[in-house]
Amino acid sequence: MKRIYVYIISLIAILISIPGISQKSSEIPVDTVEIPLKIRSALEISGPVLYFTDKNILNLEGFVTVDLDEKKSLYLGGGYSDYSYSQYNYSFLAKGSFYKAGVDFNLLRPEMTEGKYWAGGGLHYGLSRFTSETPYLKHDNYWGSVSTSLTEQKNWCHFLEISGGFKAEVFRNFSIGWLISVRKLIYTGAAKELRPIFYPGYGEGGKTLTFGLNYYISFNIPFKKIKVFIMPEPVEESEEDEENQGSNNNTQIGRQGIGN
Amino acid sequence: MSKKLLYIFLLAWATVALLLPSCTPGSCFEETNAYVKATFYLKSSGKADAPDSLTLYGIGRDTSTIYSKSRNLSQALIPLDASTEGCGFVMKINGVYDTISFTYATYLQMLSKDCGYTFYHTIDIPVYTTNIIDTVTIVKSSITTLSEENIRIYY
Repeated sequence: MKRIYVYIISLIAILISIPGISQKSSEIPVDTVEIPLKIRSALEISGPVLYFTDKNILNLEGFVTVDLDEKKSLYLGGGYSDYSYSQYNYSFLAKGSFYKAGVDFNLLRPEMTEGKYWAGGGLHYGLSRFTSETPYLKHDNYWGSVSTSLTEQKNWCHFLEISGGFKAEVFRNFSIGWLISVRKLIYTGAAKELRPIFYPGYGEGGKTLTFGLNYYISFNIPFKKIKVFIMPEPVEESEEDEENQGSNNNTQIGRQGIGN
Repeated sequence: MSKKLLYIFLLAWATVALLLPSCTPGSCFEETNAYVKATFYLKSSGKADAPDSLTLYGIGRDTSTIYSKSRNLSQALIPLDASTEGCGFVMKINGVYDTISFTYATYLQMLSKDCGYTFYHTIDIPVYTTNIIDTVTIVKSSITTLSEENIRIYY
């Protein structure tokens, strides 16, 4: 019985002496970083700029994001498009507003961003309410030329958007950034044979997927600060250290061997 | 670390700016006319057989032929008049004249941004004379720009 007590006490003593096991989980060194949560109000700038070079398309767009935590933010966007196209056999007009809602994810680590940088992606649902018309169309064949027009029609269009990009705070509470978007049309109220060639907010109608590139400037309003816990990265031992340790161990074993 | 990130961002900004697409008008490489695609069959054998000679023109448009003594034409492309609900053709097969008339419904179809609109049709059973033509059967009544057989002419 006495031997059993001695054994248990010895075992406890050994366990306490091993540093990795003896420390409680709450004693693991943890760093914190303070991150400001922000409301970002952004305006798309390439649309108005491109309008000066191409008067056929005006795209005004913006969004508001509200940080939910250091990674996620709620996205609400919207805009207005006015599009016209004309070629030898028809002309086409479409204009209307569009709205988008979704979630953005920041993939950068909080200690890197300090609330100033954003690199990541977002998933948005888009809804476009627009009118389209074909004021003129002409078709030629053996029997001659037929000219007609299609009157203005109101339509809805629903689409999904996946975007990714980068935003950086270049001055205090002022950011610039870019986003590349891929959009998939999921529903349109327009008749199948008379699908519009352009949907405001979505892009060209004849394509299965549309791609967009947008530049943004944004004004940021910090509304709350949160503390984010950061687990320290394990320090990797270099090969030299391992070799040194190994040789020391060998020496110790050798000495022990001599001692014994 | 923050400055390094800013430099990366500015470099990426400049790279993306180079990717801004340039807008150039496209060209139309699609078929933009919806023809009635007629295939010729010998009534004796029931097999597809191109006539030795085919002349085709619209009734009242004999100065403008669609085919003029065309040889070994396995499939004739017959254009319909989108401005009316019917049109007729004079068809001269191997030197023998016949007429064939179509009635149809017409509707607009958007092809693509580059090609614009065309007219599609849905045809009824055609009316024809039987000097050399034996029968005309409809294979597919939707007249589109797709390459598919619409009618069979047995002669």
